[in-house]
Amino acid sequence: MPKLTVNGQSREVKASPDTPLLYVLRGELEVMTPKFGCGLAQCGACSVLVDGEEMRACITPIGSLDGKEVTTVDGLPARWSKQKGLAHNPDRLHPVQQAWVDEQVPQCGICQFGMMIKVTELLEHNPKPSDADIKAALTTSGPSPHLCRCASYAAILDGAHRAAKLMAGEA
Amino acid sequence: MADIMETPGDFDIHGASLSRRGFIGAGGVLLVMLGLPAGRANAQTNSLDAAKPASWIEIHADSTVTMRTGKCDFGQSSIYTAYRQIVAEELGMGVEAITTVIAGDTDRTPDGGGTFGLLRNASVNMRKAAAYTREAVLELAAQRFGVARSALSISKGVISGGGKSATYGELISGQTLRLTIPVEGSLTDFRGLVVTGNPPMKNPKDYTEVGKPILNPIIAPKVSGKTQWVGDVKLPNMLHARVIHPATLGSTLVAAGKLDPAQYPGARLVQVGNLLAVVSPDEWQAVQAAQVVAADTKWSDWAALPTSEKLANHLRTKVDWSIVPPTKGASKGDTATPAARHHSGAYFMPFLKHAPIGPSVSLADVRPDGSVMLHTHTQNAQFLRAAIAKMLSVGEDKVVIRTYPGPGHFGRSNGGNAGSEDEAVLLSRALGVPVRVQWMRHDDMGWSTQSSAMVADIAIGLGPDGRMLTYQATHSGPPMQDDRPIGALLAGLPTISAPTPDNPSPIHTAKMGIADRWIYGAVPHVSETGRGTFQIGEHESPLKVGLRDHSMRTPIQFQQNFPREVAISEAAMLAGKDALQFRIDHTEDPRVRAVLERLRVESGWDNRPSPAAKAKGAKVLRGRGVSMMLRDNGYWACAAFLAVTPATGEVKVERMVLVADPGIVVNPLQLRRQAQAGCLMGISEALHEEVSFDTGAVTSLDWSTYPILTAAEMPDLKVVIAPYAGADVYGQGSESANALAAPAMAGAFLDATGRPARRIPLRPEYVKAMLA
Ligand code: FES
Ligand code: FES
Repeated sequence: MPKLTVNGQSREVKASPDTPLLYVLRGELEVMTPKFGCGLAQCGACSVLVDGEEMRACITPIGSLDGKEVTTVDGLPARWSKQKGLAHNPDRLHPVQQAWVDEQVPQCGICQFGMMIKVTELLEHNPKPSDADIKAALTTSGPSPHLCRCASYAAILDGAHRAAKLMAGEA
Repeated sequence: MADIMETPGDFDIHGASLSRRGFIGAGGVLLVMLGLPAGRANAQTNSLDAAKPASWIEIHADSTVTMRTGKCDFGQSSIYTAYRQIVAEELGMGVEAITTVIAGDTDRTPDGGGTFGLLRNASVNMRKAAAYTREAVLELAAQRFGVARSALSISKGVISGGGKSATYGELISGQTLRLTIPVEGSLTDFRGLVVTGNPPMKNPKDYTEVGKPILNPIIAPKVSGKTQWVGDVKLPNMLHARVIHPATLGSTLVAAGKLDPAQYPGARLVQVGNLLAVVSPDEWQAVQAAQVVAADTKWSDWAALPTSEKLANHLRTKVDWSIVPPTKGASKGDTATPAARHHSGAYFMPFLKHAPIGPSVSLADVRPDGSVMLHTHTQNAQFLRAAIAKMLSVGEDKVVIRTYPGPGHFGRSNGGNAGSEDEAVLLSRALGVPVRVQWMRHDDMGWSTQSSAMVADIAIGLGPDGRMLTYQATHSGPPMQDDRPIGALLAGLPTISAPTPDNPSPIHTAKMGIADRWIYGAVPHVSETGRGTFQIGEHESPLKVGLRDHSMRTPIQFQQNFPREVAISEAAMLAGKDALQFRIDHTEDPRVRAVLERLRVESGWDNRPSPAAKAKGAKVLRGRGVSMMLRDNGYWACAAFLAVTPATGEVKVERMVLVADPGIVVNPLQLRRQAQAGCLMGISEALHEEVSFDTGAVTSLDWSTYPILTAAEMPDLKVVIAPYAGADVYGQGSESANALAAPAMAGAFLDATGRPARRIPLRPEYVKAMLA
């Protein structure tokens, strides 16, 4: 029975080891922010962080995640608080989420859970990315581009830059 | 009860009536209700729970306001931003007073109608309802203060006059007031109810709330993970379903595949006519079992589609365009007038997919008493309600639609035919438990409606002075409003009719209207004709399915504007004139001229004829193009700057500039975001998108066979919002921005290469053929 940490909590999973993480999160663990987009690792709507690295939950079997740490958008505020040693505050958002509000990034928003995960991964490695860095992260760094049908890419770029400033305490 | 008493006397408020239904001990509320025409008050409103207020606008004793609309949101933000601003404006309150918006649920909202033209048409309902409400409250204040209505004024929710003042809340406190406003239409009709009469409206020059860049309040709960999306809804005893759709758009079921209970315990196979599905309490099991059953299921052969490779030729040579009567667009003079030089071109627009990032998903609960609760993400909840009732042959009073946030789909489910809804209802009815149907990516690509393909023939005659003398266009294609639910078709159950020339519902006609407003009024001889047909493959398909089409963004107008704007750029080149100046020279509309002049400045446009001069031996050719659209009183122009690599056929968009005079700008922040995203989606369509299909089925089934724009392909993008000062209509956002990218890019391609691009997408294989 695989045991993993999801958003800081240790969870034991009943599903069979071949079950993709996405179905375990949404079905068994009630973690709903990763979305089903394609089930084919082609879009990024299901993206989560596994030990800090962006992965596609729709094709990642739960059996491969024993002992790993999974973070979804719901878990980003706690991740940030822990990284910064901040006291728990239920109203605090992760800087990426805050930037997404400030810049009014989402149109429909369905792709943005994966977008925020990808940008969080980027900023944890590269705190001051250029436009080209952000575009590359969203396009060529993973198994497929992170797709937005609403084509909110201009807003996503604005959001990523603002998040970088918020993380650096410059905004 | 002692604290409630009826008081006599209704007051007439510009045709609405205000009644004081009672005084209550604490609190107080003003409800704005519907006054349905006599005779059709009840049947259609039955699913409105009479115990709960379903008023348009509800004012509370603390001066907060709840507003309700049957329209939905899938990324436009309008009902949570612009609508609150418009209502607050007419009420004379600050926008923050509108604390609650209830949207889309058929049992909790009053008006119905589809989510289109949100600002242009639909907002008029809210605006009038608010204006009636303000007038009613002024009446209350006049009585309370003992002064004439004309002596009163409102500011920030406070009504003052005769030395006295009171807030909205104070004026209604302790009472239950009902304001009944006049409406016409039918709740579950395509267009829903329309508020009638002419209450006095605030003069736009006095606006304080409209025009503010307020934030969209639903974004914070979305990004924090608090929002319940349609795919997140769960019910006790719910089963997960995966539908096994037929092998082709015309195949019927021969033999369902085997489901091995040892391998998939708990899974069941369900069949309703040609609707086949696997259900299981465990979602992943349903996915796996459905795959196995699908591979083992036999469908009849069917091969009657022309294939996407031969589609243009099919439309040009195989369709009998004489069955559906033609329509006329702009028409003046005599296009047979002899001209000095001639341009003629044949243009083609492929089928496009709405392609939401999340495939269609719905949860239906059909109860033992036959009532239906459907949790979905529709664009027209009341119309979907009518479609479900029709499919089940039950009264509309039996059906309730609840609407949730979901993936943006840009128009597809106008009539609630996004896909999974009716299938979920049929499966829940068959099994007696709630059923959640999640379409897989291939279901959504293969079985949803598409945006119609179209061909156009355009002939332009130039006079000796190089000006356009004649313009003649014929636009031909299948219609874009097929509202037949797919599950009902597969199950052989009743639906509204497919598009036909004599459809009783005018919006569902097979006729091809001319949707692109003519803006080149200085051309003396003009003739535009629209030719319609049936859905491709529909008549040949035993399922009556074929390639069903439904509106996307600027339905029909995009398909007509692209050939027109590309042909105008070609005519300008033939005349040896600059493409932007050529447009200005042929318009008589000062707003067209102003937008184009502004575009010239904002884009740094270099005035010169096309094609652009080529450097010797250049491997990359660069050019710029322009396009223009008039839609819903909004004037939009676009300049595209392209780089074309002839050796590889690669087209790269380097820069886009949009200028919009959309009328009154309700929310500049949201409009800008909408315009940016709409334009980028337009680039996606122009660079990549085309639905491929073989003789039986759609073959663009995932993101590798239906690629869309990536972040890396995003050009430098500038959006300039320049509203005309005297505008009195509210401006829409992203639709025209979306349509204008393709013709501007094709114009830039012409400028760069000297060769016309008379089709999209500008994929390498097509580009090489264009340059060959
Ligand atoms: S749903 Fe996992 S990548 Fe699309
Ligand atoms: S915001 Fe709608 S898909 Fe990205």
